[in-house]
Amino acid sequence: MRLRRKNNLMVEPPASATGDIAFNLIVFFLVCASVQPDSGRKQTIPRAEQTENKEKKNDENIQVELKRNAVLINGDAVRIPEFSARIKVKLDAKRTQEEKIVIVKSGDDVQYAHWIAITSQIEDAGGIITLQLEEEQTVTVP
Amino acid sequence: MKIKRKTSRAEVPSMAMGDIAFNLLIFFVILAKAQDDSHLQWTPAEAKNLESAGNSLVSIVIDNENDVYLNGQETGQPGLAAMIEEMLGGRPAGDRTVLLKVHREVTAQTFEPVIESISEAGGELVHIVEEDKK
Repeated sequence: MRLRRKNNLMVEPPASATGDIAFNLIVFFLVCASVQPDSGRKQTIPRAEQTENKEKKNDENIQVELKRNAVLINGDAVRIPEFSARIKVKLDAKRTQEEKIVIVKSGDDVQYAHWIAITSQIEDAGGIITLQLEEEQTVTVP
Repeated sequence: MKIKRKTSRAEVPSMAMGDIAFNLLIFFVILAKAQDDSHLQWTPAEAKNLESAGNSLVSIVIDNENDVYLNGQETGQPGLAAMIEEMLGGRPAGDRTVLLKVHREVTAQTFEPVIESISEAGGELVHIVEEDKK
């Protein structure tokens, strides 16, 4: 006589638990997403200079002028790949912290990617960045 | 003859608890999203020697349309310094981090006044950029 093996076992997760499973999955992904840290560059920028008061000091400091696709150090055009080395040489010659202040003046059309690349090279070379913004003046015509 | 009043028990079905929690969570996630800036469109620039930005109370985004957002809310440049100062309150140095996320093609005309405002408010500026692997 041949006996039939009983195989009535069905393994199913309980349907009532699907809500809880979804809840736990969401919590897991939320925690993963919020833990991801941002990475960036710290930058200490003193307040913009009042050019009239500090005109004398500005003469001693290095001035970097940013154009859309070019850089000038103290008025001399520098090729972008050479900028890092050139600014390092100039900053190494300065001794005090005050002398290491680099005045950065940007044209209105300078893009952020260009600006951050140049300012980070100045900081890496030991410079302290100061922005020179154009002052807005209201003139009333009689 | 005294007739007994029928008492019926009203219960929240315990089976629905998971679903209720799920819906509550979705509600709070959407609410939190309004203060978040992850929905803004911007492409980071690259720089070398990056470090972890840490936690910060203030995050400023300048998106690909040159619009300025403070903690996910659109704002203008005028009055930005005062708003940042108010958010930072009297926090000590080291706890005044302001994250700045600028789209790589935004011009100096837009981002420099924002940097100036952060500096004016006494914020510790951190540029959020990507590691330059060149």
